[in-house]
Amino acid sequence: MRPAIRSQRPWRFAASIGSVGVVVALYSTLLHVNSTTVALSLLLVILGVSARWGLAEATVASVVAVLGFNYYFLEPIGRFTIEDPQNWVAFGAFLVTAVTASQLSAYARRRTAEAEARRLEIEKLYALLQAMTLTGNARRTVREFVHRAVQIFECGAAAFYYSPTGDIVRSGPESAPVSDHALMAAAEIEEPSLDPGHTTFTAPVRLGGRSLGSMAMLGPLPAEATLRALVNLVALTLEKARAIEDASHAEATHQSEVLKSALLDSLAHDIKTPLTSIKAAVTSLLGSAPETEQELLTIINEEADRLNRLSAEVIAMARVDAGKLHLEKRKVHVGELIASALSELAAALKGRPVTLDAAPDLPPVEADPELMQQVVKHCIENAIKYSPEQSPIGISATLKKEKIVIGIADRGPGIEENERMRIFDRFFRGRQHRFATKGTGMGLAIAKGIVEAHGERIWVESERGQGSTFYFSLPLGGARP
Amino acid sequence: MSAGKVLVVDDDPQIRRVMKVTLVGHGYEVIEARTGEEALEKMPAEMPNLVLLDMNMPGMGGLETCRALRGGSDIPVIILSVRNTEKDKVAALDAGADDYVTKPFSIEELLARIRAAMRRSSPESGPHAFSSPQLEIDFETRRVRARGADIRLTPKEFELLRYLVAHAGKPVTHRELLQAVWGPDYGDEPEYLRVFINQVRKKIEPDPAKPRFILTEPWVGYKFVAP
Repeated sequence: MRPAIRSQRPWRFAASIGSVGVVVALYSTLLHVNSTTVALSLLLVILGVSARWGLAEATVASVVAVLGFNYYFLEPIGRFTIEDPQNWVAFGAFLVTAVTASQLSAYARRRTAEAEARRLEIEKLYALLQAMTLTGNARRTVREFVHRAVQIFECGAAAFYYSPTGDIVRSGPESAPVSDHALMAAAEIEEPSLDPGHTTFTAPVRLGGRSLGSMAMLGPLPAEATLRALVNLVALTLEKARAIEDASHAEATHQSEVLKSALLDSLAHDIKTPLTSIKAAVTSLLGSAPETEQELLTIINEEADRLNRLSAEVIAMARVDAGKLHLEKRKVHVGELIASALSELAAALKGRPVTLDAAPDLPPVEADPELMQQVVKHCIENAIKYSPEQSPIGISATLKKEKIVIGIADRGPGIEENERMRIFDRFFRGRQHRFATKGTGMGLAIAKGIVEAHGERIWVESERGQGSTFYFSLPLGGARP
Repeated sequence: MSAGKVLVVDDDPQIRRVMKVTLVGHGYEVIEARTGEEALEKMPAEMPNLVLLDMNMPGMGGLETCRALRGGSDIPVIILSVRNTEKDKVAALDAGADDYVTKPFSIEELLARIRAAMRRSSPESGPHAFSSPQLEIDFETRRVRARGADIRLTPKEFELLRYLVAHAGKPVTHRELLQAVWGPDYGDEPEYLRVFINQVRKKIEPDPAKPRFILTEPWVGYKFVAP
């Protein structure tokens, strides 16, 4: 556009001078009016020139008008001198008014042009914002930004480095004048930078101190204020897109967990309902059956119980596998956990000696009591299975570094070193017990899942011939009020 | 003579069949309902002595049915459910159930629970009445008045209050209270007491948050005091 302005300028000057000349010629030859009318008419022409073309043209027109006014209309006519002091005042007033009016008019014109430019840039920013917000996805927002920025602002090229994924996206006719390296470095600096020639703009894009990457634009560029607004706009749009992404991801995860949990619940119900009929029927028969049938009915009854335990463990294992166990944590004393596990296992313990070694003043722990009681139960069941009948089981609870560690010790054969790690795998059985032991082989795997869901640890210490001790830690409940 | 009329509410036909045969064999009269809605319909005409209510049913479900039953009567209700978490038990008791049995169960266990739910201590044992400006109890007519208004207690709530009043001034342990009210097979269900004591307090205490009659004895049990 600038060369066009230059080529029009001489023509405009000529036109300005010409308009003044026409007025002067008109009044000096055809219409004879007084000098005040002439002066006002010339002022009108100058105002028109300054409003139409600007200060330079108006100044030239003023000078020509002053000279013409003096030469043709102020006594002595036909000379560039003034005799009457009154005419000096009139001449001076005309000169000052012409120059001031043309300046004011030109100033107003400039402000209008600036306001128009601003309005255009805001319209462009708005167009860009609309293009970007339609995507609702951070990567697409970045792509949309670099393509639309070039289109809308008519700049040479645009590039964006999106740091969360490491993507670099470019667009525009000029190929890669800002290197990947320079773009990535721009993400680390504090302030945007604009070169003195107003052709290259690079800026970090961040929101609330969090870096989202950086952007670059190549000239011709919009005003610096617009560029800064652009950076903020991109940061906000990206952050919004990310928030939408996060929310829909979390929603999808939640939905899938709700579904899994509902499926497991209905599975539990469907397995236990027929077992309820079997168990009720067989226990009813057991009460009145002759002795020959008692044995068979007892087998049905015991196996129904076994199926029930099995289904409970499969479902518990599936819950552990499904990811998040739903923990309902509260403050609980480990003594309660141990006591309720022991009372549930009273029949299986069959009067085995159990020693409990715990200080009476242990602080409470923060845990899901029902699940943690399951952990204690699985460990005690394991001890029952793998140690001789009537051998004692020792349970301990000790305070160690902001945690309480529960230990369950048996007098079994111990666990070989190469098997200690695998003992918490599901279905794993020690070599010497492979065919001898009842159960599902899932107890310790479930216990591990529950302990780890609490962010804690379970492990075993063992010595051949001396027995094994299973330990797990529990967080203290005192930290939170 | 029948040992009592039991309404079995379960959507599973096999469970209803087993229950019917077994309970009839033990001298009970049995009526069946497939849903909560059907159970509520049958209640007024059949007037059973006890309801065995499945928790997980299509339609209005066990908990809602239990609340609806409680709205109109103080009939003993035992909830049967495959779930065995404390949360589910407390929800069932809160809905007004007298007891909670986890499926699958043995018939002896269920029969013991049925007997416990239907048993009432004979009025001769214990006090005949209690009276204070805020609370009046007539143990023979089973009438309770608190702050001048008649109060309805379920049988288990009433038995609980009677036992505490009979031992007024002395702390009663959880186990003793459970065995006295539910029966000798009980003792490890402190959550039952939490729910029931809470319900009794809501009905008789001027301010249930600051009880004046039924006090908690930490780690031990509860104590009734005449203010």
